[in-house]
Amino acid sequence: MSVWLALVLLWPLLIMLRNGMWLAMEQGGIRRAGPLPELIDAWWLTAPLPALLLALGTVEATLAMEGWLLGGLWQLDEARRPWLAFSALLWFLAGCYARGYLAGEQRRAEAGDGESFRRLVGFTLLWPLTLVGNLLLIVAEDIPSFYLGFAIMTLAAYGLVVHAGHRDARLGGFSYLVMAFFGEALILGGLLWSAGSAEAMTLTELRATIAEAEQGLWMATLLWLGFGVKAGVIGLHAWLPLAHPVAPTPASAVLSGVMVKAGVLGWLSTLPLGVPEAGLAPLGQAMTLLGLAGAFVAAALGVVQRHPKAVLAYSSVSQLGMLASMVGMGLSSPSLWPALLVPVALFAGHHGMTKGALFLGVGISEHPPRLPIWLIWLLLALPAFSLSGALASGLIAKGAMKEALYAGGHTSLVTFLSLAAVGSTVLMTRTLWRQWRERGEDSTSWRSPMSLSWLFAVLAAAAVPFWLPIGEGVAWPPMKDLPGLLWPVALGLVLAGLTLLAAKARQGEARQGEWRFTARLRPGDLWWGYASLASGIAARLGRLGATLEVRRLGIRSALARRERRTIAWLDELTRYERGFVRLAVPLMVAVAVLLFLGFLLAGPG
Amino acid sequence: MSQAWLPVITLATSLLVAPLIFALPERASRARAVVNLSAAVLKLLLVALMVWGLYQGHRFTFGFTVVEGVSFLLQADALGLMFAGLSSLLWLATTTYAIGYLEDSPNRKRFFGFFSLCVASTIGIALAGNLFTFLLFYELLTLSTYPLVVHRGHDKALAAGTVYLRYTLTGGLVLLLGVVAQHALVGDVAFGQREVLADLGPQAHPMLTVLFVVFLLGLGVKAALVPLHGWLPRAMVAPAPVSALLHAVAVVKAGAFGIVRLVYDVYGISLSHELGLLSLLTAIAVVTILFGSVKALSQQELKPRLAYSTVSQVSYIVLGISLFGPFGTIAGLVHLMHQGLMKVTLFYCAGNYAEELGIHRIDELDGAGRRMPLTSLAFTIGALGMIGLPPVAGFITKWYLGMGAVQAGMPWVIVVIVTSSLLNAAYFLPILHRVWFRQGPAHGRGSWPEERNLGRFETSAWLLLPTAATAMFSLLVGLLAGVPFSPLDLATLMATGEYLP
Repeated sequence: MSVWLALVLLWPLLIMLRNGMWLAMEQGGIRRAGPLPELIDAWWLTAPLPALLLALGTVEATLAMEGWLLGGLWQLDEARRPWLAFSALLWFLAGCYARGYLAGEQRRAEAGDGESFRRLVGFTLLWPLTLVGNLLLIVAEDIPSFYLGFAIMTLAAYGLVVHAGHRDARLGGFSYLVMAFFGEALILGGLLWSAGSAEAMTLTELRATIAEAEQGLWMATLLWLGFGVKAGVIGLHAWLPLAHPVAPTPASAVLSGVMVKAGVLGWLSTLPLGVPEAGLAPLGQAMTLLGLAGAFVAAALGVVQRHPKAVLAYSSVSQLGMLASMVGMGLSSPSLWPALLVPVALFAGHHGMTKGALFLGVGISEHPPRLPIWLIWLLLALPAFSLSGALASGLIAKGAMKEALYAGGHTSLVTFLSLAAVGSTVLMTRTLWRQWRERGEDSTSWRSPMSLSWLFAVLAAAAVPFWLPIGEGVAWPPMKDLPGLLWPVALGLVLAGLTLLAAKARQGEARQGEWRFTARLRPGDLWWGYASLASGIAARLGRLGATLEVRRLGIRSALARRERRTIAWLDELTRYERGFVRLAVPLMVAVAVLLFLGFLLAGPG
Repeated sequence: MSQAWLPVITLATSLLVAPLIFALPERASRARAVVNLSAAVLKLLLVALMVWGLYQGHRFTFGFTVVEGVSFLLQADALGLMFAGLSSLLWLATTTYAIGYLEDSPNRKRFFGFFSLCVASTIGIALAGNLFTFLLFYELLTLSTYPLVVHRGHDKALAAGTVYLRYTLTGGLVLLLGVVAQHALVGDVAFGQREVLADLGPQAHPMLTVLFVVFLLGLGVKAALVPLHGWLPRAMVAPAPVSALLHAVAVVKAGAFGIVRLVYDVYGISLSHELGLLSLLTAIAVVTILFGSVKALSQQELKPRLAYSTVSQVSYIVLGISLFGPFGTIAGLVHLMHQGLMKVTLFYCAGNYAEELGIHRIDELDGAGRRMPLTSLAFTIGALGMIGLPPVAGFITKWYLGMGAVQAGMPWVIVVIVTSSLLNAAYFLPILHRVWFRQGPAHGRGSWPEERNLGRFETSAWLLLPTAATAMFSLLVGLLAGVPFSPLDLATLMATGEYLP
């Protein structure tokens, strides 16, 4: 079975190489005649399939490679299986969607548009590469492989974000990359420090090391913040709302559905969750608090966004905040963690698939397939209300989560999570509203790859608890819990309705003031603060550097002057030489006389 | 053939090629290429033979007495062989590159002659068995590199050459002082006889500390330690293969290698630790790493940016050996190899851009990835390695540096490593972005500064092949660091030998 595990990663790489060869042949002029091949073809779509098959099977696999990096160890065990399953499935569906989404670009490339061809080739190369990174970080058990997967995914996804190439895309890509590298630096620091203190080579050893280390709290904090950039911890989330709206829709779907989950998976892999001796309760509390804060703040910021994808990005920050607050419980009340493990995996899978389906839906509402309009909007609303916890997988996931927390006696956390769900509902209504305002004319067949993969994604997202391999599985919440689970949704709907009415009523009068206010809350909120802070610091450093440079030049010219003076002085010396020559005979005679006198005087004594 | 002669023959392969090349007429470029390449291949084989012998437990030593008390000694230990291996591998690559690079340019005879002498000196430095022999080749290196630096012969090159000579000759003089002082103190001592200095007892410690600083001043000029680095960015006027060799294996690396020898084989790691000299090295290395990175950030031209990056990266070696413990040693030694491979790749790429498209400034690189995909790919690998991202070689170094820092009880060094990685990213990623994601002449916008269409592929195959090969090596030594005979394996072998009694 270990061969299969290697195939999981090799297959997408081979697919990438194949498309790379096309590019090379076009470049080298070997294959200029003949029509352009379809770059996103059936083979390309199969890239995540080995991973999906392995994840949905039942076998456990381990692959140890001594020569790989510092000793490779890849595993697929019960803890990793659900993550691999939903990641691979969403990658697959988003890939199929991309085939339809980029069909126009393919046509333009065939018509001889070099720019479209270049972008398309870039996309078809970097998509499988990002996938490889993502899969590797899921199956890796040795730390270098894990970091390798994380780095490949982060870097390759940059190319997906800037695919469109316009100004906003470059800004989104820039913010993404800067923050991602900031995160990578923190992760590297945390990994080196913790792995170094006990020579840990695997993630399991790493967790044990952090639990025992004296400075474990600081190591864990570094790792929390480092992975927190991906997982959208509030304050480090600024790239999400900038990068998501500009990326091509299928890329946004995997970015928000799977790649941000890599941050959460990073926490699960490196933090000693559920270990009472670790003594990381303060960190756990901070995680929970900041997670909840993120859930609320992101909801508030998201409601004023206009681009549906930006609203969805803020919703991701909000949902990840909820997830982070639960992971924090694993540190602050370790005994609860075994019971939380399944709900966390389920919640991650549910959010990944549902958010993926929602992002894919944005493209669908822009180019609706030829289906009855009520059906389309019903299917668009299904994942939205599943995400707020009213239906299907969302209801089950949130039910399981609350049940576990109730059993642990954390009722206040449950209340806060419910309040956050109100925010989610408002965000989802806002998304649907913005989608409705920006809806397009129906133009595609419902059998096109775009609509089919979207349809499948919606269904798979709704049914996550039934196919996600999470042990014994979870049941529907009992009837008596339903009011407790549904009131936030109801409240959210009422709130959203009231806001809408108020907006309608005030239309015209206070519009200007309101606009100025919302225009200031551009997507990316804190990014602008960070950017101006950074440019301020850079300007100050530049001035400092210039001052130093001036001083350095001053010192150098002073030294050069001194050197010239010394040389001149040395040159002067040669003038004396002539004098010496003239005086040579008298001097020698004088010395001889002195010597003679000395001998005479010293001789007798 | 006796084993004692193996180091001598290895040295002779490049030393004797030099007069042969000087004897060949200027126009006989094909004969020169054949001589050069066959000597390079032969030497690579000889070094491989010695590495194999070393694993089998053989020791190769050759020596004779010059005057009473001073002997010429060549010996092949693991450290020396590692450096010799790097030198001969890169000699082969760089010779190939230089043949393509200098095609149809004047004074090729002079260039290749001194080039062989320069490589012979690095081999001598690698195999030197005592300080006297080391100094001999160290000075030979200085002199044989000067004609290469000023090869172009214009005013700027001559000025840079003068600065280079001033720095390195002064450094050599200081080193000579150190060698003489050490000789006066304990006489002729071969590398590895660390107990000699350690046995001097505590009353000699102040003297030894001063002596160490003198050695460090002498070696630090070539290793481009701040503030002795001034010559390196100016020497950028040299042709690309010379810069590549200078930065990857010859001059800069010779200095770093000298410091490694000084710490491990002259003083011994425990004596250096006891005297507190390692902390001094750590401090110098940290300052150099950060200073080099910050300076690199402000360069607008490709080669000076790479030069300052070298200043920073070579100090990783010094940082590694200054961290007391096997992991730090492994990091320093393995980076000796890794930095060479990665930096040589980057310089080849810079040379390719300059030759094929006339690009010297970073802002001219827009869209170069489409025009020269393989070169750009190689550059990407090198740059990612410099940042320290897996799976390129640089990651292995960073990993062991981090481990070593914790082992030496100095976790704060991790902050330096991480900061340096971020700075590296800050000056390499914009280049990569320009190369791959910006649109330029290859997309029909503007034109290249000076396009030349040198070959059937994106550029001449002579230039492309070495670039691709070293890039591949940089990737493989990282990706397959765990296999036997990898640089990491060699470094681990040495480090365990160093710390086990």
